[in-house]
Amino acid sequence: MATDKARDGRLRPVEFHILLSLSAAERHGYGIIRDIESLDAASVPDVGTMYRALARLVEQGLIEASARRPAPDVDDERRNYYRITTAGRKVARVEAVRLEALTAAARSGGLLPRGAR
Amino acid sequence: MTSDPRLAGAARWCRRLLRCYPADFRQEFGDSLVETSVDRARVALQRGGAWPVARFYLQATVSAIVGGASERLRPAAAWRSRGWSRDAALATRRLARTPGFLAAVVGTLTVGLGAFAVVFTVVQQVLVAPLPYRDARDLYFVWRDYGPMLDLNRGWLAGTDVAALQSSAGVIESATVLGRQRVIFATGEGTAPAEIAVISTTPNLFEVLGVTPMLGRGFAPHEVGPARPPVVVVSHAFWQRLGADPHLVGAQVRLDGEPFTVIGVLPPTFAFVRHASLGPPQAAEAYVPFDLELGATSPTGGAYAGLIRAKAGTTPQQVAAAIDVIGRDIDARHFKSRGLRLYPVSLKADLVAPVRSALVVLAAAGVFLLLVLTVNLASALLARSAQREHELAVSRALGADGAAIARATILEGGLLGVLGGVAGVLVAVWGTRTLVALAPLDLPRRDAIAVDAYVAVVVIGLATLLGLLAGVAPATWAARAPLSRLLAGSAVRGGGGHGRLRRSMVVAQVALSLVLLTAGGLVVRSFERLLRADPGFAADNVLTMRVPMPSLLVPDGPGVLALQQRISDALTALPGVVAVSATETLPMTALMNQTTLAIPGAPGNTGNRERDRPLVDYTGIRAGYVQTMGLRLRAGRDLSPSRPAGVREALVDHTLAEHFFPNSSPLGASIPFGRDQSVTIVGVVQQPRLYDLHRDGRPQLYVRAEDFEMRTMYFVVRTSRAPATLAPEVRAAVRTIDPRLALADVRTMQEIVAGARRQQRLSAVLVAGFALAALLLASLGLFSVVSGSVTRRRQEFAVRLAIGAQPGSVLRLALIDGLRLVAIGVCLAVPGVVGAGELVRHTLVGVSPHDPVTLAWVVGGLVAVTLLACYLPARRVLRIDAAQSLRQG
Repeated sequence: MATDKARDGRLRPVEFHILLSLSAAERHGYGIIRDIESLDAASVPDVGTMYRALARLVEQGLIEASARRPAPDVDDERRNYYRITTAGRKVARVEAVRLEALTAAARSGGLLPRGAR
Repeated sequence: MTSDPRLAGAARWCRRLLRCYPADFRQEFGDSLVETSVDRARVALQRGGAWPVARFYLQATVSAIVGGASERLRPAAAWRSRGWSRDAALATRRLARTPGFLAAVVGTLTVGLGAFAVVFTVVQQVLVAPLPYRDARDLYFVWRDYGPMLDLNRGWLAGTDVAALQSSAGVIESATVLGRQRVIFATGEGTAPAEIAVISTTPNLFEVLGVTPMLGRGFAPHEVGPARPPVVVVSHAFWQRLGADPHLVGAQVRLDGEPFTVIGVLPPTFAFVRHASLGPPQAAEAYVPFDLELGATSPTGGAYAGLIRAKAGTTPQQVAAAIDVIGRDIDARHFKSRGLRLYPVSLKADLVAPVRSALVVLAAAGVFLLLVLTVNLASALLARSAQREHELAVSRALGADGAAIARATILEGGLLGVLGGVAGVLVAVWGTRTLVALAPLDLPRRDAIAVDAYVAVVVIGLATLLGLLAGVAPATWAARAPLSRLLAGSAVRGGGGHGRLRRSMVVAQVALSLVLLTAGGLVVRSFERLLRADPGFAADNVLTMRVPMPSLLVPDGPGVLALQQRISDALTALPGVVAVSATETLPMTALMNQTTLAIPGAPGNTGNRERDRPLVDYTGIRAGYVQTMGLRLRAGRDLSPSRPAGVREALVDHTLAEHFFPNSSPLGASIPFGRDQSVTIVGVVQQPRLYDLHRDGRPQLYVRAEDFEMRTMYFVVRTSRAPATLAPEVRAAVRTIDPRLALADVRTMQEIVAGARRQQRLSAVLVAGFALAALLLASLGLFSVVSGSVTRRRQEFAVRLAIGAQPGSVLRLALIDGLRLVAIGVCLAVPGVVGAGELVRHTLVGVSPHDPVTLAWVVGGLVAVTLLACYLPARRVLRIDAAQSLRQG
């Protein structure tokens, strides 16, 4: 399954966001939501949608559940943490490269200012 | 913890909403989902105000409803189906990656399952499915067994017997009588005539069978007896042959020139045969009411088939008991209690009896083939898991659980089974047509045999089961083998640990195929006996045809004789014709007449009344029959070419001669025959067989047809060219004599003989084919085992060679490995071989079911083929370069 995702490289935005967020660090569910919020407030998923995406990614072997442990950001209550797998990282990279190529195309097509970051 | 009561309320609400999700999702993610939702709720509360809180509740609710529904609908969620669907996807992809393996396995399964499906179809529809009549289980034919009086235990009933059955109360609901004759059918004056078969019966036949005519009506109860109206009901097939005109009902047709009114056409699904006491069942194109008073017929002679319907719910024993009582009464009244019995045979059992044992053998062979296939598939899957040994070892080392690996292997087997099953059914659709074409023409309900949905479902289901089953063995091996052994084994090319399992599978294959080969060998040998059997006549270059002479066409005896002479002369004049004669009954058609015969004063008489009045088959012939049919004269001569005055000449067969004249010549002896007449024996012939190709039947008597004014004859023509090519000229010649003559059954004797061998040939071809397929599969298994073992032991062989072993002795080592398996297989097969012999016993002709020659051939053949299968891969050891192998090692 992992290889499939890598091959066709098609990730849903919410899945890409999750992978993106987890590639930086292990996070629990609310941590992921906040991470997405800080990056791109417009595409924050509701909790149910995110967990369904998490379920799919676990199933595809792109992320895995890590330990249940206290979360400092929510008064050290215990939360389930998730981490990205090697396959997940690869798939996310493929998606990032695709987006980068699109951005480059947008830039050379004049949609974005040249040289701007 | 959530101390805030508002947060506790949000948590409760979210927990309630969880019910929208499927149970397994809830179990995996429920807690986290609630916790994270509460985290969000906390933020909303911190922000203050009613709107964020309301938005939280709204969003959580909508998300739970929408998300829960779509999660429930999401197909093939892998963790939901506990890994099966992911495994299925994996198995599919893995198979697609190895098209060679896939093609080989599915190909094998297709052929095997196709063959099985064909056999299953025929067996199911002939032996198992009920006949297409209303409550067919309650229908019985009734027969006469003459007991000590006559060598006839399957005799027709007299009309009075049927009358007795009809009038008996008790378990018999209704009884009907079936007579059959051939008549010349014409739709009007002057149209082309054709000979058809007509069953004459009581008006209740169609009610007894539970069929209503498609057009028109059946017979009315009063339409029977000497004053019956001339009405006829035709079969659907015959109606179609006449042009399928709905206005045929009500039309006048002619049967033997006599006008009849068509009152009904039977539905297309209706087929019925009158079972003959001897020979094949007889179908009919039309039905007419019986024109005699049943009670007024002769009570001693048997002439009709009796068919009864028992009351619903009556057991066969009750029916048999009731019939037996009626039989005893008839015995007492008309046979002075000399031992006549009546007995019922279920309609179905009676009709399938001639093919039953052959079909049982076929079914058993099919099941064995299926077993061999299963083992073959299992060992193919095992070999495949062995190739993936390294992959398995690594996945197991990385923590893949054994169950997942087992599931994948089982699914692979199931998938292969399904593919093979579907392809097999497709093959069977075609195969069944071929089988039916090859099958004996009298195979019951032959035309109805086809692969149907039921057969397809059973075969595909069975194939799937077979595949899953075949996957179990390698799956348990792969899941159970200790990790250490897997890792160690995978370091060696060719793998290791599965060896014992694969070997036992090869042993099983060898044993199973030996059993099949035994059955095949016996059936083939029996067929070969049949081919070599001397039937007492020379079938080559003989054309036969029936020329009916109804009395309406030629009213008087002298006219018949003159017409027959003219036909004979016309046929003799045809180019390429060597000899012409005629007979009332052809050999191998089981249709002669029977009579009891006594020769007072014959030296063979013993004084025992029954022994001295044997039942014999008799028929009429014209002069030249001995030469034309290629009979072999043992003594005396053929009938003289022209009728001598004052003496009626006759021929007898050698069994009749030996019965009455064991040590003297029968020539010149006189036999009382017919009413106050007698015939004189002028020749003795080797019996031209009437029933079975391989053994003599009843004694036979041949009288001169002209002496007894026999009308309808089969003309036989011996030719110097291919007899079938003569048919058009024969037809033309007969038409020139009288255009109203209808030629029927134009066949060569070769065709008649081939027809008699048909069923045996079919059994021989199929059973032998199954056996060879099994042998091939076993050989392939053996080949791969020996090949694997040679690869694995390469190092050992190299060492042996390096320290001076002869290549021959190393080769022997490699060979012994395989041969040991063959030897074990052969030993294990012994009970199966004995069983196979017993099973085919009833289908064998002139071969003992434990014929040592056949067994020797079969075992020898098996050993030779398996030896080759071992030798081919073992030969590789001769090419081992010891020095190089050791360096590599």
